[in-house]
Amino acid sequence: MKTATKIMGVPILAFLVMISSTILMSSQLNAQISQQNMPKLMTYYSVQDYSDQIPALKSNISVDFKNAPRVEALFDIAEKAGLEIAFDSNKLDQQETVTFSKSRITVGEALQMALMGTGYEASITNRRQIILTEPAPQLQDEFDVTLSGRVTDADTGEPLVGVTVYVEGTQTGTTTDPDGFYTLDVADDATTLTFSYVGYMRQDISIGDQTTINVEMATDIARLDDLVVVGYGVQRRSEITGSVGIVPADELTPTSFNALQGLRGKVAGVNIFTNSGAPSGSNRVIIRGTGSINASTDPLYVVDGVAMDDGINFLNPNDIESIEVLKDASATAIYGARGANGVILVTTQRGGDSERVVVGYDSNLSVGQMLGRMDVMNAEEFMEVQRTALQNVPLFNSNVTTAPTLDTSLDPFLFDANGNPIYDTDWQDEATRTAFSQDHNLSIRGGTEKSSIGAVLNYTNREGILLNSYMNRASLKLVYDVTPKDWLKFGTNLTVAKIDENHVEEGGGGQEPRRTMIEMAPILPVIWPEGTPLAGQYSNQTHVNSMTLEGQSNPVHRLLEEDRLRDRTQLFGNTYMAIQITPNLEFRTQFGLNNRLYEERRYRPSNMIAAGAPDGRANFNSNENNYWQSENFLTYEQDFQRSRLSAILGASWQERTFTSFSQEVRGFSDDFFTFNNFGAATDIRQPSSNNFSWSLNSYFNRVTYSIDDTYTFTFTSRLDGSSRFGANSKWGFFPSAGVSWQVSNEEFMEDVEFVDNFRLRSSYGVTGNTEIGVFRSLATIGSGTTLIGGVRQSQSFTTRLPNPDLEWEKTYQFNIGTDLDVFNQFLSLEMDYYYKLTTDLLLDRPVPGTTGFTVIQDNVGSLSNRGVDVKLTTANIRKRDLFWSTTLNFNYNKNRVESLGVGDEDIFPGPNWVSGSQTILRVGEPVGNFYGFERIGTWGTDEAAEAAAAGRIPGEAKRSTDRRIIGNGLPDFTGSFINEVNFRNFDFMLDLQFVLGSDIMQQFLHTAEDRQALTNGLATQLHDAWTESNQNTSIQRIRHQPISGQNTQADSHWIVDGSYVRGNLIQLGYNFDPSVMDKLGLTQLRVAARVENAFVIDDPNFKGHDPEASSWGGNIHAQNIFFYQYPRPRTFSLGVSLQF
Amino acid sequence: MKKIIIALIGFALLASCDDFLVESPKTEIAVDQFFTNADDARGVVNSVYRIGAGASFYDSGGFGGSNAMMGSYMSGLFDNEGKGERIQGQLAHDLQVDPVNLSQFLGGWWNGMYLAIARTNLAITGIEGIPQISDSERATLTAEARYFRALNYFFLVKNFGDVPLVLEPTEGLEDIFVERTPSDEVYSQIVEDLEWALNNGQLPDVPFGGGNEGRVTRGAVAALLADVNLQRAGFPVQNTSAYAAAASAARTVINSGTYSLIQHGDNIDGDSAYNRMRSDDSPEYIWSIEYDAGVSDSGYPRITIPGVVRPDGIAYGRTLNMYRPINEIIQLYNPEQDLRVQNNQMYYTSLERDGVVYEFNEYVPYIWYEEQAVFETARGDRNLNITRYSEVLLIAAEAIARTEGVTSEAVNYLADVRSRAYWQTDRQQIVDALSGLSADQFVEEVWKERYRELALDFKAWSDIQRTRKYPTTAELNPGNATFVDVIGADNNWGQTYQETDLLFPIPDEEMQRNENLTQNPGY
Repeated sequence: MKTATKIMGVPILAFLVMISSTILMSSQLNAQISQQNMPKLMTYYSVQDYSDQIPALKSNISVDFKNAPRVEALFDIAEKAGLEIAFDSNKLDQQETVTFSKSRITVGEALQMALMGTGYEASITNRRQIILTEPAPQLQDEFDVTLSGRVTDADTGEPLVGVTVYVEGTQTGTTTDPDGFYTLDVADDATTLTFSYVGYMRQDISIGDQTTINVEMATDIARLDDLVVVGYGVQRRSEITGSVGIVPADELTPTSFNALQGLRGKVAGVNIFTNSGAPSGSNRVIIRGTGSINASTDPLYVVDGVAMDDGINFLNPNDIESIEVLKDASATAIYGARGANGVILVTTQRGGDSERVVVGYDSNLSVGQMLGRMDVMNAEEFMEVQRTALQNVPLFNSNVTTAPTLDTSLDPFLFDANGNPIYDTDWQDEATRTAFSQDHNLSIRGGTEKSSIGAVLNYTNREGILLNSYMNRASLKLVYDVTPKDWLKFGTNLTVAKIDENHVEEGGGGQEPRRTMIEMAPILPVIWPEGTPLAGQYSNQTHVNSMTLEGQSNPVHRLLEEDRLRDRTQLFGNTYMAIQITPNLEFRTQFGLNNRLYEERRYRPSNMIAAGAPDGRANFNSNENNYWQSENFLTYEQDFQRSRLSAILGASWQERTFTSFSQEVRGFSDDFFTFNNFGAATDIRQPSSNNFSWSLNSYFNRVTYSIDDTYTFTFTSRLDGSSRFGANSKWGFFPSAGVSWQVSNEEFMEDVEFVDNFRLRSSYGVTGNTEIGVFRSLATIGSGTTLIGGVRQSQSFTTRLPNPDLEWEKTYQFNIGTDLDVFNQFLSLEMDYYYKLTTDLLLDRPVPGTTGFTVIQDNVGSLSNRGVDVKLTTANIRKRDLFWSTTLNFNYNKNRVESLGVGDEDIFPGPNWVSGSQTILRVGEPVGNFYGFERIGTWGTDEAAEAAAAGRIPGEAKRSTDRRIIGNGLPDFTGSFINEVNFRNFDFMLDLQFVLGSDIMQQFLHTAEDRQALTNGLATQLHDAWTESNQNTSIQRIRHQPISGQNTQADSHWIVDGSYVRGNLIQLGYNFDPSVMDKLGLTQLRVAARVENAFVIDDPNFKGHDPEASSWGGNIHAQNIFFYQYPRPRTFSLGVSLQF
Repeated sequence: MKKIIIALIGFALLASCDDFLVESPKTEIAVDQFFTNADDARGVVNSVYRIGAGASFYDSGGFGGSNAMMGSYMSGLFDNEGKGERIQGQLAHDLQVDPVNLSQFLGGWWNGMYLAIARTNLAITGIEGIPQISDSERATLTAEARYFRALNYFFLVKNFGDVPLVLEPTEGLEDIFVERTPSDEVYSQIVEDLEWALNNGQLPDVPFGGGNEGRVTRGAVAALLADVNLQRAGFPVQNTSAYAAAASAARTVINSGTYSLIQHGDNIDGDSAYNRMRSDDSPEYIWSIEYDAGVSDSGYPRITIPGVVRPDGIAYGRTLNMYRPINEIIQLYNPEQDLRVQNNQMYYTSLERDGVVYEFNEYVPYIWYEEQAVFETARGDRNLNITRYSEVLLIAAEAIARTEGVTSEAVNYLADVRSRAYWQTDRQQIVDALSGLSADQFVEEVWKERYRELALDFKAWSDIQRTRKYPTTAELNPGNATFVDVIGADNNWGQTYQETDLLFPIPDEEMQRNENLTQNPGY
């Protein structure tokens, strides 16, 4: 067996023309978009030597050439083999023809036949690209000078093999040998020697008197010819006028469950808030600032061309080929009324394209542990607070003169004879666990000469660190693409996924385990032991006789015994047909479907009396979301000599229908039935059902024209009609224009040698937001029931004030940006400035309450976002065997409410909790502002009289009399700092994420600090509390809440700086050598070890688990407002990835 | 050509759907398809029973109490254990209510009541146009709607003073910025609605729970009319002719013979009249707020256990005494003679459960206590009786004394109520003591009885608003009260009442929404 020694590099010609085997649009929509990755060099295999080993060259095709032009024959072979071909079209004689015919011939042989007699040799790269190697030049007598030298890689010093060396403007040229040396005889009038090599920047060297010319070539990372997925097609990177963040699969953080998790910090301007550590915890995504107040701020998700209106939380991340984020109007206007919040395009992998079946398997095993334990009191500290609180009772209750005492003898099973607690339970420990998770992904890809097929099977089992919380996903994707005729392509992809979870409630202010694991009294055992009256039962605070603790059900009991099951079944797919009408014009029609079934089954057993269901409660909720879209568009591509034109024109219909049913029953004689026998319940609650739908009809076009690869103009527009808007304003028009200037292509830049690539882009346009509820423009009669005469009677009422003029929010966005690479691409910068003005906000515009309504949904108000997106990459070390690059990306965003309603009235969007709405919208201020009292401190003993006048005593909180803006939950700066090191076969990544300038409202201080003696709480309520000798503190004097009441309001004491740095990912990977893989019969083998969420550095005054959360997920204004949270784990994982 | 044909199939498939973008709701009914039959009319009228000043005004939460309790907090005579976190109770005791601090809370009242009014306006105009309805049902449903419109305007005018008077349904954005109407004109409209309901409504004349099926009765209308007139006669409107109207309306209730006071049973410890009030059905009840554990459960049992005790087996996660009568009002009761203040009558101060006695060391409303809710279901099942015959008797006594003098009729009405409480005192002794009083002295006796008898019917603040007198009591002289001018008086928390405090401010959110509004003086 011949060992597959690698040849690094093969000569190719100076000016590469990349020509794909079919017309651009038809193939590239489905083609795998190859993303070069800087550190990985391209590998070339000679067809002559390796055609019997390289799978792509071994496959059989059938050829039939009769006097066919050689060039066309080459294209034909490449097309049939599904390969790309690249060569200098001027070098091959266009007139030459070939004649050979064979019904079964390998690709390698066919290529050799087609090139016979030319002296050219074919080689193939690991990117499935055919490269033609120039013949050695004929020796000619008139050469006067012999030049020689060596070509090496500027970074690594390695010799470059096969570099094309030629005299500019002549046919004279050669290639370098395996050691990088070349020798070339040139005429003495030759002035410039050109060195050219794929993946490297071309160099022109003035010959002068030199006879030895050594050259170091730098890699080309500008990737101007890469194709980037944009809406309804692909574009060359160099021709994109908009702001698009591109994340190929290998840059997504490897993660086993959620694709958005992997996108965190990868694109400047895309803020992903992971507000939960639960296995199914969803993420909130804000692109370039909050662009709406009442409608959704979520971006539009488009997966393989189909809008996925529930986001991509459940998508199999292993299957993602790339994610593109469209940020500015030039990029998003093609999505018109749904584009204002940005668009996230996800491309998943397609099938294989040769007869060789490629099998890939990825597996990831992980262990998650709790990070950020809250510092709560132990049993001893808890009892000290109880005693101190009782001693303090007379201070707060003027009619009590003698402090009550605790009679622990009432609880002989909790306290020993000396009154000391018997148990010291750490409820955080008891309610959490080390969570084990696994992820397996199996993909099989293959195909025939005219078709490709693939299947991806994914199974994930993910445990949460709270007991018994889990999520499983099983998904199967099938993809099939076929070219039955040379003018017809057809393809389909279909995913079936089943996701089931046991969910832990993360919202609201109830007695949920995330709260009770902090507040449950540590003096209680988890389960009463033998010998106690309640032996074997879970403890409950109602069992305590001597104290008046808040009734809470045991968190371990809740987590283990309560069912909170959620099942999701998803059917998602897209089918297309592409017809090549003329060589330049393609018609494509596609039908997409996203059908989701959701079932929620809950049961709360009757022995959880403090959880609000003393006789058992079962719920069953189900709903179905059915979304379909039909899209049809024409694509026109024309390559003129100096310019290129591409255009699309299309139409789209979309409809979503939602139906739901839910029922609750209570009163079970036995907890046996749970939710499986509703008939056994004695108390049947009112059932409910719902049905609504919305539809969208759109027409869109985009024209891109580029001249000299230097100037590109893009015009995009979309006309959208939405059912959700008023009869008078069903249709909206969303245009945008963009321009890009490749400055570095200009002549005046030729002498500016340190600039490798310099491009300026700018765009302006309008997009919309339609994401409001249905029927908002109509006055309708709502119906329900009400209690009259001891029974339910039907009631009817008008639901809202009608507004036939209701229409979309409009976002006007200006963007100016640059792409700059300097110093042999040592430093690369992508930077954009944007200004977004959103007008006609879909607001609940206040109307006088005397109308019987408080609001009418109307288009009033505006808000702006302005900011900067920066991505800065430096290649710090580019040495043989050692590569180190650093990427810093960040977004700075400033948000401002410009106007509200008709009279700029303040709006209080909630969440309404202690002290009322915790946020406020006010003109001139940003969204996300916290609203509450200012905590001035605590009343001191020297202020006793003043305090008494205000009805307070020393040691109580001292606050402003009015409520104010006391913080903001949205950050000014967000970003990440990523270091990657490749050393031989090892690779290492350190991914740090940071957030600056946000605040947190710690709502849990309401109960964990201000309600002493009622529940357990933070240790600070004991150690930092106000005492006469510790007056300089903002933590109030210990007070017995059940007896002396409480003093707690949302105030600035709850606010803490939300800035943090997170060790998002630390990863060490190892890629096995080909020699090892060969022995194992593998083509790829990689192992990696990772730590996710390794550490978080945050404000020392922050008392919660993790500085990013929200307990009010449904409220877009409530970011970083939370009343306890599901802790985010630190996860250690081990992954293996192989292919054969 | 073949390709082009295929290519265009996709366009052709859907291009013909003209109504693709038309919304057609399936869970809501279009307005123009409504008001076609009696069911529609009933549906709209049914929808005002619980909103605004209706039942929801009385719904109690575990931490905030009910809206109806806010007046009692303002009076300073009742405390609540949730005020450290629910700001309205704290601001009421601190007399720091202002349009901004309480904007959302008062806005909730305002919006809810105008929502109810808007629905009654829609019902009153809509029912008129329905062809398929009997005349008697048309009259009854209209009377119910007018009753609720009056009820909501009464709460508004009593608490906010001059308020916008809207009598037509709002259908668009035209004419929505309505100015305030002087209080007396609002009262005129309230009286007109109630008199219409009384005279034309064909309403049943039965006690609540005595066959009215939860619906508005003649007695409820007349009792409200009496209450409205009594309030109108006092501050700030001082339309003194209304006393006579109050007396007349009260007599309509009394003379109907439909109602009577609950009498004590044989065992005063468990079967007194006040124990019997812990039931849903009695000839004393004129208007009650309906609750049902299975449909709309009551939150009142939850607030009958103070947070300071935690009886074993309690079904609520947290209980608080949200309506604690403070010593100043407890001292209004004679502890020896007055049954109402004794343990397990109107109030209780300890709970015995499984042989364990839980001492509260404070008074807690016992009438609202439900054992099954507290210890088993966590859902209250009993109605809240808010207008009782005893109140009508006291209105009649006061209104007659004001207009006709201290007549034996007036004396008897007050004696009926008082003698039930002073169950061991000879009735004649009570009558004699009252008969010799001047009108002003007699009226003060009525007021004392109102504070005592109607303490759990949420009347204290309305009385302070209309009388502008504040009851002061002394520990050494229990069972008595001295009335001082409320303006300048101090509440239990050392805060001094000003005239401003006697009307709530128009909530700031409504001020912002309607530039034609003016604020109440002092805010």
